[in-house]
Amino acid sequence: MIHHLIRAVILTGFAMFIVYLDRTGEMVLYIAPRMELYVKLSALGLYAAAIYQVYAALQKRLGRQAPVCDCEHEPSPSLFKNCVIYGLFVFPLLLGFLVPTGTLGSALAAKKGVNLSGSAAFERAVDGSPDAAQQPLEGKLSGDAMDQLFPSDEYTESHAAYGKLLYKEPLITVPEKQFIETLTTLDLYREAFIGKEIEISGFVYREDDMGKERFAVSRFAMNCCSADALPYGLMIIWPKAMDYVEDEWVSVKGTFTTSSYLDNEIITLEATKLERMKAPESPYVYPDLDFGL
Amino acid sequence: MLKFLFRFGTPSLAVGCLIMAVLIVTNRELPMHLFNAANLQSFKILFISIILEAFPFILLGVLFSALLQVFVTDELIRKFTPKNPIAGVLFGGLLGILFPLCECGMIPVVRRLIRKGMPAYIGIVYLLAGPIVNPIVYTSTFTAFRTTPEMAYSRMGLAFAVSVVIGLLLYKFMRSSPLKATSAINGVQHYDHSHDHSLQGKGIRGRSASILSHSSDEFFEMGKYLIFGAFLTAVIQTVIERSTLESFADQPMFAYLFMMAFAFILSICSTSDAFIASSFSGMFDFGPLLAFLVFGPMIDLKNTLMLLSTFRVKFVLALIALTAVLTLIGAWITEVIL
Repeated sequence: MIHHLIRAVILTGFAMFIVYLDRTGEMVLYIAPRMELYVKLSALGLYAAAIYQVYAALQKRLGRQAPVCDCEHEPSPSLFKNCVIYGLFVFPLLLGFLVPTGTLGSALAAKKGVNLSGSAAFERAVDGSPDAAQQPLEGKLSGDAMDQLFPSDEYTESHAAYGKLLYKEPLITVPEKQFIETLTTLDLYREAFIGKEIEISGFVYREDDMGKERFAVSRFAMNCCSADALPYGLMIIWPKAMDYVEDEWVSVKGTFTTSSYLDNEIITLEATKLERMKAPESPYVYPDLDFGL
Repeated sequence: MLKFLFRFGTPSLAVGCLIMAVLIVTNRELPMHLFNAANLQSFKILFISIILEAFPFILLGVLFSALLQVFVTDELIRKFTPKNPIAGVLFGGLLGILFPLCECGMIPVVRRLIRKGMPAYIGIVYLLAGPIVNPIVYTSTFTAFRTTPEMAYSRMGLAFAVSVVIGLLLYKFMRSSPLKATSAINGVQHYDHSHDHSLQGKGIRGRSASILSHSSDEFFEMGKYLIFGAFLTAVIQTVIERSTLESFADQPMFAYLFMMAFAFILSICSTSDAFIASSFSGMFDFGPLLAFLVFGPMIDLKNTLMLLSTFRVKFVLALIALTAVLTLIGAWITEVIL
């Protein structure tokens, strides 16, 4: 009977934990929005199972055999083993309720390795077309010149189309919704965007090799849960970069250029304006599955 | 107590040695600085998010398994399973299209199917192919690898081929049941589910109580391995740097092994691993990525622990080795052909 009650408490604990995460809005730290519904539904399931365990405990109390099934999966008689097993279930609950929640930051980004050049899934077209890029940026480009600036094959078609849209903007803001897609587009067509003004926000991430004048503005991109989150970032050049500590949230405006880092030519912003900001409600960005469809 | 020591002593020693070996190879001190606040935060978030993400699927799995137990008779399963081994293996490989389950939910269902009289080799084929050969995973792989649609085709094809070959090998060489003997494990679970009590439940009340009873018991049984697996995965992800692993990946052969080991450690769901793989496509060739995508959903840290709860240790080890070797060879051949 005691087992049924312990199990009931654990199951209720997990159900309550999910409700708690939902109420406090902390759910976004763990799970991508498209998974949230399923997690909430599983809270219902856990709760139903908890109620059943209480019912089974009462049945036993009344001296009745637990219903129908006589193949009761009887728990081990060893006290030590039971403590270990139930402890295993209680541990995440304690951790979840008692340890204050932060967000993923530089420490994990360093472990996972920040991607500084957009999504690697797309090969950069070799030398877009330098001629077109050298044209004055203010000039109105004809459709042909645009096509020259944004060459595409069947796979990068949507990026090229998106690039053309961005190109017309006076100030390109890297949005939350298409964070990775925008960075990838900037990286694919870097020649076209050189000299453009870009705005981006994220947390400060620093590697030793970056020296005193550079850091990366990064975000974690999550697909399902934070175990699959990968950090993406954009390199920033700012003379007083050391004024900003790691994991601080900043919003940066700057001029788009490229620079060399660890023998790679990567896209970079020469910052003109930095501002500290409050961490957004959801620190993550999500890949936009509808992009280009 | 003693039995407990015997059962878990060796594996935990092995894990300890492995950690030490990694530390020696990478030339590190004992990592005391790892216990700082930032790492604790990352660990907490990863650990809980893996558990939360798996909950819906594991609940679905145990519920499905309980429904099978209560509503489907053994005869029905026997009737629907092909008698011919080749047809049976193909049937197992394609079952995922009808019943797409991810690897967390798969194990209780397969165990139930085997107990209810499905030949074990067919059950194992479903266990391996099911998390990959299904429409959901196909779509996500296709989306993640929009620039190389061959990836989605080869992933489905290779996963199907590997599991079919394993199924045929098991049919040929497996003599005894791969499931754990029931009384051998110090009476923790005295399973004798061969008895048929599927239709004992009287009326709706009896049946729904029976479903709840079966699913909540199975939830605890699978849950402890899930939580332990999530714990290990979160620790490894917070502690080991990706660059450390990548330093092993210089030689072409190592790239395959690296990506497979990486898939094993990450233990992410088969619906989202394609996106992870695509983030590596700058660094690795087609073959190693394919190995990652095929091996990961079949075998990973989290589900190895769950497999060990159900199947004999020897069988699990053989299965892991077989899957690893076949995936490696298959991915390499695919890379050469394409």
